[in-house]
Amino acid sequence: MSQVNQVKLGAKFIADTPHRQSHDRCLWAARMRRDSVASHIPEWEEMRELASQIKKHTLTHLDEYLEMFERNLLANGVHVHWAETAEEHNRIVYEIFRTHGVKVVTKGKSMLMDECGMREYLDERGIDVYEADLGERIQQLDRQRPSHIVMPAIHKLRGDVARLFAEKLGSDPDIDDPTYLNSVMRRDMRKNYIKVDAGMNGVNFGIAETGGIVVCTNEGNADISANVPPLFVASMGIEKLIPRQSDLALFIRLLSRSALGLDITQYTSHYHGPREGQEMHLVIVDNGRSERLCAPYWEVLKCIRCGACMNTCPVFRRTSGLSYDAPYMGPIGIILEPSYDLHRYARLPYSCTHCGSCGDVCPVKMPIPEYVFYWRDTIVNSGQDEMIHRLEEDGMELVLRSASSLSKAEKLGLWALRSLPQGLLKSGLNPWAKWHANPEPPAETFRQYYARKRKEARKPDSNSQTPD
Amino acid sequence: MSKVISEKFSRERIFSRIRSSKQTPVELPDVPLYSIPGDPVENFIARLEGFDGKAVRFGSRAQALAWLLENIDLKGRVVYSAISDFNGNLQPESVADPHAAHVIDVCVAQGLMGVGETGSVWVTDESLGGAACALFSTDLYLLLDSRKVVDGIHTAYSQLDIRKAAYGSFFTGPSATADIEAVHITGAQGEISLTVLLYDK
Repeated sequence: MSQVNQVKLGAKFIADTPHRQSHDRCLWAARMRRDSVASHIPEWEEMRELASQIKKHTLTHLDEYLEMFERNLLANGVHVHWAETAEEHNRIVYEIFRTHGVKVVTKGKSMLMDECGMREYLDERGIDVYEADLGERIQQLDRQRPSHIVMPAIHKLRGDVARLFAEKLGSDPDIDDPTYLNSVMRRDMRKNYIKVDAGMNGVNFGIAETGGIVVCTNEGNADISANVPPLFVASMGIEKLIPRQSDLALFIRLLSRSALGLDITQYTSHYHGPREGQEMHLVIVDNGRSERLCAPYWEVLKCIRCGACMNTCPVFRRTSGLSYDAPYMGPIGIILEPSYDLHRYARLPYSCTHCGSCGDVCPVKMPIPEYVFYWRDTIVNSGQDEMIHRLEEDGMELVLRSASSLSKAEKLGLWALRSLPQGLLKSGLNPWAKWHANPEPPAETFRQYYARKRKEARKPDSNSQTPD
Repeated sequence: MSKVISEKFSRERIFSRIRSSKQTPVELPDVPLYSIPGDPVENFIARLEGFDGKAVRFGSRAQALAWLLENIDLKGRVVYSAISDFNGNLQPESVADPHAAHVIDVCVAQGLMGVGETGSVWVTDESLGGAACALFSTDLYLLLDSRKVVDGIHTAYSQLDIRKAAYGSFFTGPSATADIEAVHITGAQGEISLTVLLYDK
């Protein structure tokens, strides 16, 4: 497959001012709400550290906890499947449906099922899978991936949804009120729920000690999908496990506050076996996770998929999730996707300004910025990089190697900013200048300023004793 | 009887790769029982209203039930009751298949615990008389003993035995979505309104 060029794909979104502005505004509002709710919890930072420790503990004892989890799932009457790959996951799900004569499936949001390409697999085999989450359904009808892991259609404007629903669901194309569009979705999904044969869901947390799964959602679609049909199939990555019920409190308190700035999701639902007359299956999926566990960037497995890193990322907010052309996008995407396909996603780790905000808001303290460097290093060493990035890295090394070379580079930069014509500075030779105005050149470099102040301070007639 | 179904040696291969990981083991920390300041019931009402739910307080359960009788418009509406001291007009047998619950307009059920920190009510498939009845309803009424409202999530999980219920959930306000331009809309696919009837004895 060809290499994803996020810069090129993102540029199209940047040029579309109404979409870009709405996207940026919605995500930044979520980030601000997150800050506000977190500030009311004195133990917030302590909770992040504990959550990180619990995840690291579970991951470094994962075999024991998975065995405990399996034992308790079986005791609760849940059928357990193990899938090594995405393909195996899809095959298992299809086999369950085939043997039960399933025709209609409604499903809640699941990043894992997207990662596995499950819906397409089942579609090809004649099973109708209806995305039941509003954002996911919009994206399904529009034949696009989700653009955000929590808000799948957040890159769209209401008018886009009105046109789409009019075309696909027969609603009034002239009404773009979100309340009306939501009611169109509600009515349409009711028709599907009445005839649904099987429900599917992703999993937010698996609890080893109780043998149960937890699903956190807002719309009610996930709970209807799980509780109405006679067959319920959930899929979960091996990294979603936590040891105890008491650990769950911590993660529930962190998840929705980090994601949307809300204290909790409307439905925080725990499944411990099938209801009377129902059959419940859980597919536990590896698909590269056990390899990541052995890698230097193993802490990506701590991720609880809240999306906080996306909401805060200055690149993501302006370019939108579709520009990453991958199941996972934004900061988590750029450190996760290269582990699936190094060549295809070799450019993603460069879609980062190193502001470090993603690491600051991550509820489980993933060292995302460090991993960005890890991947750039790996990509340069594997020869998958672009020439410009290698020049950049070599150049940085040259400049930063010694104090004197940095000093020379500073003076050169200042001279260039003052003396070279703008046309040259903004030419194609300097891609940075494409989106940035050049700063006003200061009168002197910082070093020159510092040296001057020191000299002044040492003069006996100086008023100040220290450089100001 | 449930069972493990695994193709060829997938399970073994996954476990063997996990065991080959050489990451330094990390200790399991204890999670403190963080408490939430303020009166749990007052917090509960404020948070629930923040999630577009309604709370009504009564001195006794009998008063709460009397209020229900007065305030639910029964005419032409399908009312399902999952509690023994309030009568609906839909027999439980008719929703033995949960698909049939889509006709329900009003559902009355028992809440088992409240959480002040979030305004959530713990319910189970048993307390709801089948979860589908509550999820498909337009208006959901949950009765809740105010003495069962705890301060926060940590206390809630320290008291609940979540394993006992096939389905157990914290319901927090009616269903909602913000998937279109992040505009908050109450009443997505589950119940459109949620009223919690708090009684003191």
